[in-house]
Amino acid sequence: MKKSKSAVVMLVALAMTASLAGCGDSGAPATTTAAPAETTAKAAETTTAAAADNGGDATTAAPAAEETTAPVAADNGENKEYSDDEIKEFTAFFAVPGDELNAGNRVQEAIAKKIGAKCKMTWLTGQSAEEAVGGFVALGEYPDFMDGSTGMSTLVEAGAFIAIDEYWDNYPNVKNFYSEADWNKIRNEDGHVYIIPQFGKVNQYDTSTVHNDEAFWIQTRVLKWANYPKITTLDQYFDLIDSYLEANPTMEDGTQNIGYEILTDDWRYFCLENAPFFLDGYPNDGCVIIPRDTQKAVDYNTTDTAKRYFQKLNEEYAKGTVDQEFATLNYDQYISKVSSGRVLGMVDQYWDFQTAENSIKQQGLNDCTYVPLGIVIDEGIREHYHSAPALDTSNGVGITVSCQDPEGAMKFLNDLLDPEVLKLRFWGEEGTDYLVDDDGMFYRTQEMRDNAVDKSYTNANLCPYSYFPFYGGMSFDGKNAYSPNYQPSEFYESLTDEVKECFEAYGVQTYVQLLQPSEENTPWYPMWSYSNALTADTPDGEAWMNMGEVKHEYLPKVVMAEDFESQWTEYLDVYNSRCDINAFLDGINAEIQRRIDVANGG
Amino acid sequence: MGDIMKEQQSAAVVRLSKDKHRSSLKKQLKNQRTLILLSIPFVIYAIIFCYIPLGGWLMAFEKYKAKDGIFHSKWVGLQNFTKLFSDDIFLKVIRNTLAMGIINLVLGTVLAILFAVLLNEVRLILAKKFVQTVSYLPHFLSPIIVTGIVFDVLSMEHGIINQVLIALHIIPKAVNFLAEPKYFWWIVGLTNAWKETGWNSIIYLAAITSINPDLYEAASIDGAGRLSKIWHVTLPGLKPTILILLIMNVGNVLNVGFELQYILGNGLVQSVSQTIDIYVLKYGIGQNNFSLGTAAGIFKSAVSIILIVVSNQVAKRLGEEHLF
Repeated sequence: MKKSKSAVVMLVALAMTASLAGCGDSGAPATTTAAPAETTAKAAETTTAAAADNGGDATTAAPAAEETTAPVAADNGENKEYSDDEIKEFTAFFAVPGDELNAGNRVQEAIAKKIGAKCKMTWLTGQSAEEAVGGFVALGEYPDFMDGSTGMSTLVEAGAFIAIDEYWDNYPNVKNFYSEADWNKIRNEDGHVYIIPQFGKVNQYDTSTVHNDEAFWIQTRVLKWANYPKITTLDQYFDLIDSYLEANPTMEDGTQNIGYEILTDDWRYFCLENAPFFLDGYPNDGCVIIPRDTQKAVDYNTTDTAKRYFQKLNEEYAKGTVDQEFATLNYDQYISKVSSGRVLGMVDQYWDFQTAENSIKQQGLNDCTYVPLGIVIDEGIREHYHSAPALDTSNGVGITVSCQDPEGAMKFLNDLLDPEVLKLRFWGEEGTDYLVDDDGMFYRTQEMRDNAVDKSYTNANLCPYSYFPFYGGMSFDGKNAYSPNYQPSEFYESLTDEVKECFEAYGVQTYVQLLQPSEENTPWYPMWSYSNALTADTPDGEAWMNMGEVKHEYLPKVVMAEDFESQWTEYLDVYNSRCDINAFLDGINAEIQRRIDVANGG
Repeated sequence: MGDIMKEQQSAAVVRLSKDKHRSSLKKQLKNQRTLILLSIPFVIYAIIFCYIPLGGWLMAFEKYKAKDGIFHSKWVGLQNFTKLFSDDIFLKVIRNTLAMGIINLVLGTVLAILFAVLLNEVRLILAKKFVQTVSYLPHFLSPIIVTGIVFDVLSMEHGIINQVLIALHIIPKAVNFLAEPKYFWWIVGLTNAWKETGWNSIIYLAAITSINPDLYEAASIDGAGRLSKIWHVTLPGLKPTILILLIMNVGNVLNVGFELQYILGNGLVQSVSQTIDIYVLKYGIGQNNFSLGTAAGIFKSAVSIILIVVSNQVAKRLGEEHLF
């Protein structure tokens, strides 16, 4: 027994060393969380392309047609080429999902040779933006450039950024990117500019062809089957899906069709929760309804429209039209379902599922791509799914205090706005990625278009630096749009025959025209730039967080409930008792007033 | 090694009562210099990685702002702890952590012992080695892969569990297991069991090999069959190992992990899926409230220490093997 005892002691000693090592690890939760990140080989396929091709996300938006000081060329004497050892390499982290480019990406190298710098970009994987940003703040070390997305306020508060306005006198492209009035909106309370909102600038005029925002989407095959009916209300939308599903339960290869999909993963649960304000005809303020006349915020979560919408989903879930396992799908699983072409319709932002649609195109399932519908709850309501671009001052890219070479970083930002470099970023290299006709108009061959939606090709060859500032709208040559998807001729040519047929049936030329034209934005639009930045420190922030918690748990329950009425009542009870709605609305109303005052020059 | 130490210690104690304290300490140091030298690197390691970071605990008593740093943030005393324990969510989080911890502890211990004992009975060496190797493998899988497998197995569309249950007419239609709060703890528990049973059994298998073979022979002569040999020889021989590991694991009850719950969880089950670690991430790091997160972390450490001391005392009282 003695022998066995000492063996035990040895084992214990071993085990303790092991646990000691474990204790070293647990000190750094940030690193552990990086693991879930890797998950997503598939999900990671997401966004760069989205942002790249369409210049941004919901945020997109730019103060339309305002005067632009044309940026100047990089000052390297035009033809000089930087050699490899002269090229500086910066690092960047953007707290949004995206694709990492391959090392030696062709256009990235071409830009580096021209301006003498490049940037290795990493993206959010797995965690939420707040958690990723919190990890950086805890560490106190940052990449050279950062965009904190919804974790932005944490970064600014932690003093992570250098004041760009202290450096910008030598970098006119940066300084002139926005007008003085716009910079004033962006300035921090201390008067400094720390971030540059990337998606805010339109040169000349907006050429949007793609509805990059939220809508009720539907596959063209469904519309075609019903002979392109006019669909405006929620009931019509689901009737159409139901009858199509009944007639066509499976796809050609025998896979079951899914009538309607709902994404509820983490912050992406907007696909479930925010439709009520659209259905009532309000634009995407994200967190509230704000009637133009009263200018006072209204909570959309408990309106009659909300109840009718969720009741409809509940009925459709019971019928089996709504995917039975929607509530547990994470984003990867959702994208893989949509990519299969089985999903007839859903509510989503276009940038959120664009990867899936690209994949559908690549598989040649051309009748399974989507068009947006401006669905409302009752006939006669004017929908506001498409909004004119607006400056989102809550997000942007900044240079961090960890950057060793802020002057170099400023030069990099400055050079990226050079018209020639902009062309490289969004069109690629002439001859390889696009061709020029006799009139100076850019166009692409079918092969080039196919390459541009092929993930493996774009990662190896194209480099839009999509989260760095750029000019949307028109190119500085005055002829072409800034990017192929915004070039009306090129855009139309690149459409599949199925989509062209659908457009023809509805008498439109672009996705945007399927919806009502956007109206002039209100001075407070978009309010989500306020709610996204809320933290639990303030009463309205705490209420906002509790609302999120309750809705995350109860809204899927409401949809899946066997007894809708009692579940809805339970939801309202918990919602009203856990969330201080008035505190939330007070905060929102104060911000509305502040924005109105700023707009009035107050 | 342990025996030598004990002898030296008792010798030192005897001397201590006779000589002056200082000279005896010197002698003791001299006698044990090899041991002391051997332990120095580990002491340094522990100081750097386990004790110095404890300075960060100050954050729990401040309203910490990253900009001001630990030394210039506002001191708020116990305010963060008060907030923590008046938060319904945190109380649920403690419940979840304990529940999953206990499920893990019980399943982890029982299955590992069972598996080790059964494996030990396999007489075909090749088969034994093969099973052993295969059963370790899940331990080395990243939680991401493990959760991917769980998602596939539980899927409503093509998951094997739903298919089998439907084929056996146990359920009429596919069940979305991950959407039901009542299944969540067990899904996590069983996933952990699947992942770790093989690995945890190594230590028991090693302990079994050190049981004196004479005991088995004697038992056979007394007419004991396989089962009674397991019951009367193997398990008693394992008892010290089991107890030591149990004490250490009790201290780890609150370390129920983070990845599985974080990835398998969703809005519907959030009231049962969040653990202390997730809470720290979500409300501490995610909401930029490092102070609250640190307070939750301190609470977790305090409970762990209490648990380990209590279980050690219990073992001591029962006259069994104990850690300290």
